[in-house]
Amino acid sequence: MTAVGIVSPLGLGVAENENALREACDCVTEVTAFDTTKCRCKSAGRVGKMTDGEFGMTKGLHRASRMMIGATREALRADEAFAPEFMIIGTTSGGMSFGEQFYRAQVERRRPKERARWLANYQPQKPALDAMEAGGFRVPVQIIANACASGSNAIGHAFRLVRSGKYRRVLCGGYDAISELVFVGFDSLQAATTDKVRPFDKARSGLVLGEGAAVLALEDFETAQLRGATILAEVTGYGISTDNHHLTQPHPSGIGPEMAMRRALEDAALSPGEVDYINAHGTATPFNDASEGAAIAKIFGARVPVSSTKGMMGHSLGAAGAIEAVFSVLALRGQFLPPNINYREPDPAWELNIVANAARTARVGCVVSNSFGFGGTNASVVIEEAWE
Amino acid sequence: MSARIAGIGCVTPLGGDLDTICRRIEAGERAAVVEVTNPETGRKLCAAPVPAEYTAHLGREPRLRRSSAISLLAAAAGKAAMADRGTEFTPAQKSRLAIVFGVSSGCVQYTRRFYEQIVKQGANAASPMLFPETVYNAPASHLAAMLGVDGATYTLVGDGTVGLQALHFGTQLLELGDADHVLVVAAEELDWALIEAHRDWRLARPGKGALLAEGAAAVLLGHDGRRGKIASHPGESFISRREASAALDRVFTALKPDGGVDILASGANGTWVDALLRAATARHFPSPAPRDLFAKEFLGEAIGAGALLQVVLAADALERQSSSRALVAALGWNQQATGALITR
Repeated sequence: MTAVGIVSPLGLGVAENENALREACDCVTEVTAFDTTKCRCKSAGRVGKMTDGEFGMTKGLHRASRMMIGATREALRADEAFAPEFMIIGTTSGGMSFGEQFYRAQVERRRPKERARWLANYQPQKPALDAMEAGGFRVPVQIIANACASGSNAIGHAFRLVRSGKYRRVLCGGYDAISELVFVGFDSLQAATTDKVRPFDKARSGLVLGEGAAVLALEDFETAQLRGATILAEVTGYGISTDNHHLTQPHPSGIGPEMAMRRALEDAALSPGEVDYINAHGTATPFNDASEGAAIAKIFGARVPVSSTKGMMGHSLGAAGAIEAVFSVLALRGQFLPPNINYREPDPAWELNIVANAARTARVGCVVSNSFGFGGTNASVVIEEAWE
Repeated sequence: MSARIAGIGCVTPLGGDLDTICRRIEAGERAAVVEVTNPETGRKLCAAPVPAEYTAHLGREPRLRRSSAISLLAAAAGKAAMADRGTEFTPAQKSRLAIVFGVSSGCVQYTRRFYEQIVKQGANAASPMLFPETVYNAPASHLAAMLGVDGATYTLVGDGTVGLQALHFGTQLLELGDADHVLVVAAEELDWALIEAHRDWRLARPGKGALLAEGAAAVLLGHDGRRGKIASHPGESFISRREASAALDRVFTALKPDGGVDILASGANGTWVDALLRAATARHFPSPAPRDLFAKEFLGEAIGAGALLQVVLAADALERQSSSRALVAALGWNQQATGALITR
């Protein structure tokens, strides 16, 4: 991995995100973009104003495109010699808010001029194409929509393609922008909380949504070394599994996450004892954390530090895996453990080493990053310190 | 990259099985056009849905009882492709089976209904039964549960080329050793909001442009298979229509074999893509011209399912016509040009 770019509620760019992680910032705020009067949950992690030079030329595009452009530009600026050959991006909802506006216009019997722009920018591939145009390149693109595991699936598949020699350089990542439909969706399922987001806490009561985009430049090690690129970290393993228990609920045994993590470790030729940190999916819903907590405890015991960064910024769905992969790289580069904020009381169902409430300095050489989603889709990615 | 085709299946407005569909196409039948009314404006629209009886038998499947039409369509095509292989998968083979699902607009019926409840009744009245079925990967999840797949399941989203993109993704999984068989499925369902949007986008106006349709197609890929070998293209992205012609040229150049092809399964659908596809065909296959297979003329434009339907019909046509090579070419409305070469 030779470069990364990130736009999240924690900040625009790598530096702002790292500072927020180290300071354990709670960036969840009240939602004002649409009416939440009739929702139980009224808060989310929102990306701040995108008005600086990264986003100046993107007026009229969907918010998701602007986030993708910002993240892509940051990554390509960090490694100007990185010429992508292929692109794999994860998302769950594309330009959903434009679809919402189109529907509302129908109901109100309006035919505004903007409707052509809404339709053209609604489709999930458009933000990736906009990022390509802003980055000045054209490559084949695959858009993975595996619900909340999409970002990790994109990184994992990109890793496999590079490792096999099919491609030398793949740009991968994920994006999602908050929309009313998805916000209300999680609220209707009572998966969203009215409280703080408390991953792995005994009193956890649900998630809040987040948004953002992250892009990672993957290149085969030898080529990157030959051209003298800065190698930030190495992706060394990827595991995927499908849990057929239920469309929205994981099997309580944690078999889905367990299979994904075991497959990722096997792919990386690592034993659980060699992992220094787990960036958990940790949505803070009772079901997810019970399943993931059981799986982590079963594989790793209570030795390995675990945190979910969703307490700080909410759950950014298709972007989550990519954003959390960048957080994992920051942990490896900065030798610290990102915090699991709003944590008060351990859940007695399992014993985990939670990085509670504040970042910790630690020796970090290997990270497992987890993402799980609706449809029973589970993905784990292993990221290690770059081997010199 | 290439793989063998071990099974094919589809469901379209012309039938719930491949034999019926091909027989009706040979007889010159076209998908029945149904009038659809936009309930908000009263505007009359038209489209070609798949009759409910073609998928009714799947309604008793536990995971499909509350699902949207797209999941039923995907399941019907997927099961047909699995059956077309001729032999049941052993448990060991099933553990090495992956699913790749391609879709363009997704579960639009439930998505529109869910948002309608938010707009008209308020967020607190929106049904939690609908929301899970709005996610793009719901059909793939149902299919995985039905088939007992616990390994790799992927959903890809894109424009009308997404079926071929899913096929390429499937060949990648085979070549990477991530699976021994990959069931590639692509599907699309209709809703008045989708038809209205494409009409507004000037792609599907009555009598002009594409006739939007429902449908699903499935191709079972493996290292062996009686339906021929398929080489897929990763696709060429284009930002503007000006770039599309060159993108299509690169696809044709990469795929066309020495000696030409017998069949060209074109993605022509009545819109601006037709002229570009026609011109590219003339440039790359001047003489003798391959036999054209314009599936969408008979089946309508099933967007996300369209390109994979071309593959299924081309593979079948090769067998029926005792031909050896078919080129499938597709040009999406706003993303990619791509194609595949099927050889027997």
